[in-house]
Amino acid sequence: MDITESRQLTASLEDYIEAIFWIVSAKGAARARDIAKRLGVKASSVTGALQVLAKKKYVNYAPYEVVTLTSEGLEEAKRIIRMHEVLRDFFVNVLGIKSKIAEEGACKLEHNIPKPIFDRLIEFMEFIETCPRAGKYWTDKFIKQCNLKKARECEKCIEQSIKSFKKERTMTQTSREITLADLMPKEKGVVLKMNRRNSVTKRLADMGVVRGALIEVERVAPLGDPIDVKVKGYHLSLRKEEAVNIIISRG
Amino acid sequence: MTGKIITVALAGNPNSGKTSVFNALTGARQHVGNYPGVTVEKKEGFRNYNGYEIKFVDLPGTYSLTAYSIEEVVARNFIIDEHPDVVVDIVDSSNPERNLYLATQILEINVPLVLAFNMADIAEQRGIDFDIDKLSSLLKVPIVPTIGNKGKGIDKLLEEIIATATNPGPDTSHLLNYGPEIESEIEKIEKFVDQEHELAEKYGKRWPALKLLEQDKDILDKGHGEEVIEAVARSVKYLTRHFGDGPEIVIADKRYGFISGSCQEAVKSSVESRHTASDVVDKVILNRVLGLPIFAVLMYLVFRLTFWVGDPMMGWMEGFFGWLGAVVAGLWPPGVESPVKSLLVDGIIGGVGGVIVFLPNILLLFLAIATLEDSGYMARAAFIMDRIMHKIGLHGKSFIPMLIGFGCSIPAIMGTRILENRRSRLTTIMIIPLMSCGARLPIYTLIIPAFFEQRWHGFMLWLIYVIGIVLAIICAKLLRHTLFKGETIPFVMELPSYRMPTLRGILTHMWERSWLFLKKAGTIILVVSIILWAATSYPKPGEDRLAALDEEQAQAVEFQYSIAGRIGIAMEPAIKPLGFDYRIGTALIGALAAKEVFVAQMGIVYSLGEADEDSETLRAKLASNYTPLQGFCIMLFSLISAPCIATLAVCKRETGSWKWAFFQFFGLTALAYVITLIVYQIGSFVAG
Repeated sequence: MDITESRQLTASLEDYIEAIFWIVSAKGAARARDIAKRLGVKASSVTGALQVLAKKKYVNYAPYEVVTLTSEGLEEAKRIIRMHEVLRDFFVNVLGIKSKIAEEGACKLEHNIPKPIFDRLIEFMEFIETCPRAGKYWTDKFIKQCNLKKARECEKCIEQSIKSFKKERTMTQTSREITLADLMPKEKGVVLKMNRRNSVTKRLADMGVVRGALIEVERVAPLGDPIDVKVKGYHLSLRKEEAVNIIISRG
Repeated sequence: MTGKIITVALAGNPNSGKTSVFNALTGARQHVGNYPGVTVEKKEGFRNYNGYEIKFVDLPGTYSLTAYSIEEVVARNFIIDEHPDVVVDIVDSSNPERNLYLATQILEINVPLVLAFNMADIAEQRGIDFDIDKLSSLLKVPIVPTIGNKGKGIDKLLEEIIATATNPGPDTSHLLNYGPEIESEIEKIEKFVDQEHELAEKYGKRWPALKLLEQDKDILDKGHGEEVIEAVARSVKYLTRHFGDGPEIVIADKRYGFISGSCQEAVKSSVESRHTASDVVDKVILNRVLGLPIFAVLMYLVFRLTFWVGDPMMGWMEGFFGWLGAVVAGLWPPGVESPVKSLLVDGIIGGVGGVIVFLPNILLLFLAIATLEDSGYMARAAFIMDRIMHKIGLHGKSFIPMLIGFGCSIPAIMGTRILENRRSRLTTIMIIPLMSCGARLPIYTLIIPAFFEQRWHGFMLWLIYVIGIVLAIICAKLLRHTLFKGETIPFVMELPSYRMPTLRGILTHMWERSWLFLKKAGTIILVVSIILWAATSYPKPGEDRLAALDEEQAQAVEFQYSIAGRIGIAMEPAIKPLGFDYRIGTALIGALAAKEVFVAQMGIVYSLGEADEDSETLRAKLASNYTPLQGFCIMLFSLISAPCIATLAVCKRETGSWKWAFFQFFGLTALAYVITLIVYQIGSFVAG
């Protein structure tokens, strides 16, 4: 079967979709030279790739015109970005890899993971984050072990983990993710997910704060709260206590 | 088919120009009321067109059709229960994506829909170009571009309404596909939904199944079998695992996906303008440094307009009622006393007139509020003040009515209509009387010079206002933690683009609200005025008792003989611990009609005839009869205790029940009693 006819995408084509998504998010539409610049490739290879993607109906493209994603393209971009986020979080939070290397690694691996493995990876991360026998302490220990190459002290470790489990139980979990509240004015990001579920998050979704939506902090109120953000082309204000529930990825 | 009646519901996002389209569609044939059971305004209008009688119902502005707020429930229930022949969704075409979100939800209910792409001129200015035919075929609905405030496109819209009413379009309940995972869960739930269920009968099983999956509280409560609820719980659990977000979020996500897909194909944005004129204005108005001063200046202007500009007009109104009273009194020969004359002049004209004199203030206040709302500043004011108001458990928007409260509680309570959340609104209404209103000022200006040295005057006045504010903050916190408990009111609010308000829009707003004040408060106040008049006039003492007395003394005796006077006297043991005697007691009863009446009543009980706040003789009497501590307690009690009857009447009108009016009456009086008691007792102890 000819590759241009199948819906299957190669790793490099997925990179294109991802790049177009970020450029469109920031500028409204992408040009071939923006894409070339972002990916560090020649303009001629961009043209070729765009023609393939247009044929597969992932992008709207005609020569010399700006490029946008179709709704299929948008879905695909969101899927790839989620893969990327999950992998990066796994590398950083569980394996203790430096974030720059983790980003690069995620970029390379995000394209080739079969769905069942991906789903299991998410569950595994959830599991070690919440399981009292593993938990944050366990992964921290692992990272320390890797870095210091010290001998293991298993008995002491178990005692400590019981202590920290009891402590954790009384404390609320601290999030390590970036939220909308972390952004400074004029910074923007893309919505990844909602941290909590209540009527406010549903309302936010109704107002256009959905996965993949570009969100830009316009300003903070004179007294420091609430904030004014731009989303879907209009201004929305919300308090920081509501913004911490919106997990984003800096764009 | 001439003479046929078509019912049309007008839906749309807030700030989409819905009101201007409604006005353009119906002209002057409008009727304002409330939706049954809730304080959401319901506007209806009529239009004859091509032989059809079309009835328009203006639904509350909403972003969505979930059961998030009263407005949404009202809008959705109207569409579901009343089943209008056509729904017109007004879309702000300068922001099509978010506005079309509501449209997709209406399409899913599968009622005949027409989209009005309003403010087409602004969209054009912003370089947004629509392929209307294409978008129309993608969404399977007719679309009409309109410019509501210029009346453009209205005839076309009317024709489209009639065409859609007589010939509804295709079934749109399956317009959106939510992807294999969600679709298969919808199918699973559909199997369990009862065929006979009222929703399923009217709208098929897909819509209720979808709503159940969205965990819509209102739909969940509509009597579904155990197995449906279980199936929903299973599906929700599965989908949450799968997507890492709740199904309601993913469904919203998919809807926006569908819309942005459609817009990609049919909407072209030629200009890359990221900063509109509105953004430039906000750079100044919401500036971190300038934001607060600008807000303060604007609030000062609102206050100034309401009271300083209003006061001369209020003087004319008072003059008019004075003249009217004299004319009516002139119908009787001079010197003749008649109960009917007294009822008309003192009871009705005095009482009702005393409240209607506030009409200029109220008109001006609503003029100012309507201008702030229609221009888009109101949302910014809330944005600026929310930090402070949130601390005391209220919403940013509560600030404005509370500020107005320093002038008069009546317009302030009516001004709480800008608050959407009922708990927040009730809390604000309850604490507004603690903002020391203009009618209490005469009491302070009488008392302060009577008991305190010149250099303390300013401080005492400041102190009494601050006590009111502090108590208001404490009460708000207390109420939000007890009676009006609930999750904090979120501040997810659109900051709409600034817009030049139209004169017609502002005047309509102003008039609708003022009319409600006149009509409803007027009727209650009439009754209350008559009761108060009777209580202060009857029973009359016998002629022999008054024989030896001059006119002033006779007035005092007459008053003490009346029901109000007797209550005052009977109350003495209860108010003694506050440092009050029966004279103050009776004057406080009189002050229920209006706070400033306290001064006149004190004049009467001290047999000084007509007294006002500048009366030196009255001050001398007070200074010789009471201590400064007692004087302070009088001010304290007047500040905190039950607001005037007119305020209570408005409170009843705005909360929809006497329960809250009584709660306010007794709650504040109890608070006043306790605080004054503590102050007086500790004060007398310290003073020895």
